[in-house]
Amino acid sequence: MPIGYYFVIAALMFCTGLTGVLLRRNAIVLFMCVELMLNSVNLTFAAAARQWGGADGQVFVFFVIVVAAAEVVVGLALIVNMFFRRGTLDVDAPQLLRG
Amino acid sequence: MQLLAQVTSDAATGGGAEVILFWVFASIALGSGIAMVTMRNIVHAALMLVLNLLCIAGLYLGLQSSFLSIVQVIVYAGAIVVLFLFVIMLLGVSRDDLLGTKNTTRTVGAVLVGVLLAGGLLAVLGADSLTDASACGSLAVEGDGTELSCIGLDEQIAGESDSVTLVGERLFTRWTYAFELSALLLVVATLGALVLGRRKDPAISDEDVVDHEAERALAEITASRAAATAAVVAEGTPLDEMLGDDSTPVEDHHHDGYGHGDHTGHDHSLLPDPGQSADSPTDEDS
Repeated sequence: MPIGYYFVIAALMFCTGLTGVLLRRNAIVLFMCVELMLNSVNLTFAAAARQWGGADGQVFVFFVIVVAAAEVVVGLALIVNMFFRRGTLDVDAPQLLRG
Repeated sequence: MQLLAQVTSDAATGGGAEVILFWVFASIALGSGIAMVTMRNIVHAALMLVLNLLCIAGLYLGLQSSFLSIVQVIVYAGAIVVLFLFVIMLLGVSRDDLLGTKNTTRTVGAVLVGVLLAGGLLAVLGADSLTDASACGSLAVEGDGTELSCIGLDEQIAGESDSVTLVGERLFTRWTYAFELSALLLVVATLGALVLGRRKDPAISDEDVVDHEAERALAEITASRAAATAAVVAEGTPLDEMLGDDSTPVEDHHHDGYGHGDHTGHDHSLLPDPGQSADSPTDEDS
């Protein structure tokens, strides 16, 4: 399988995730779209690692997964805090720091 | 594991298995990604994310990255999405607001940006990236005349036992410090989540509630005792008779409740100990 197909799929998935980030207003869904984008980039890493025969790409994907796990833990704690403070998950809701 | 190794080895031989694997998993991954973005229910979106992550794990399998495939299933589909679902259940499902309920300009703009970026990326990749030799560059190896093949993971794996060995070796030799740092990062993230998850406002705590209830109960008891004593003083009847005590008469009712021998039948539950409410107005000893 040529590597370009993997790149195409990853690019399309990345754009889907980006559209979701721009489109949705729920903070949790926004976060899931960011996960989708991270995964598409991971896919390109793995595909390139296969193509050029380096294990470094796979190691990089491993680290990305570790950082994503840490990010999700902290981010979801922030989202829960934000919900208890503001009573909504809407990221477009009126802010505390209004001008 | 047996099946997994078989699929991987099939893919390594460059047979049709990888092609089938790719098209099935890629189409499902793309479709579930789009479904995740457009789905109205947030729980359905999370389940679509699970499907997407599992399909990407399958794509890793086709890329001879069985280690990544397993890690993807365990960490992403097993831990991260479960965490998402926990938070969704904790905060409530019905509060989802969906796509662009109010603002159509925003919807059109978001889709436009996505499509433009996709078009740009595909244009950069170009049509020749879909041919075999495109991505190799100078690493291309001359095949048997007609087709070029890169120095890929297949050749690397051929020297090793499998890709897990390859990744593990690289992870613990070249990237050891990064590995240790990632452990530190996980600890810091855990502590950060603990600190963020702690409830900070001291307005409502369990001790306060208990204290208020106890004070209220004490005040009630004191008030009832005061009323009873007032009645006693007014009418001259002994307190124990007023409370309906059927025990033997008490000679000295100021000292009741301390376990004298002649108070065996006395009901202590009707009256609190005078020692515990020393400041109450009914304590006539003081």
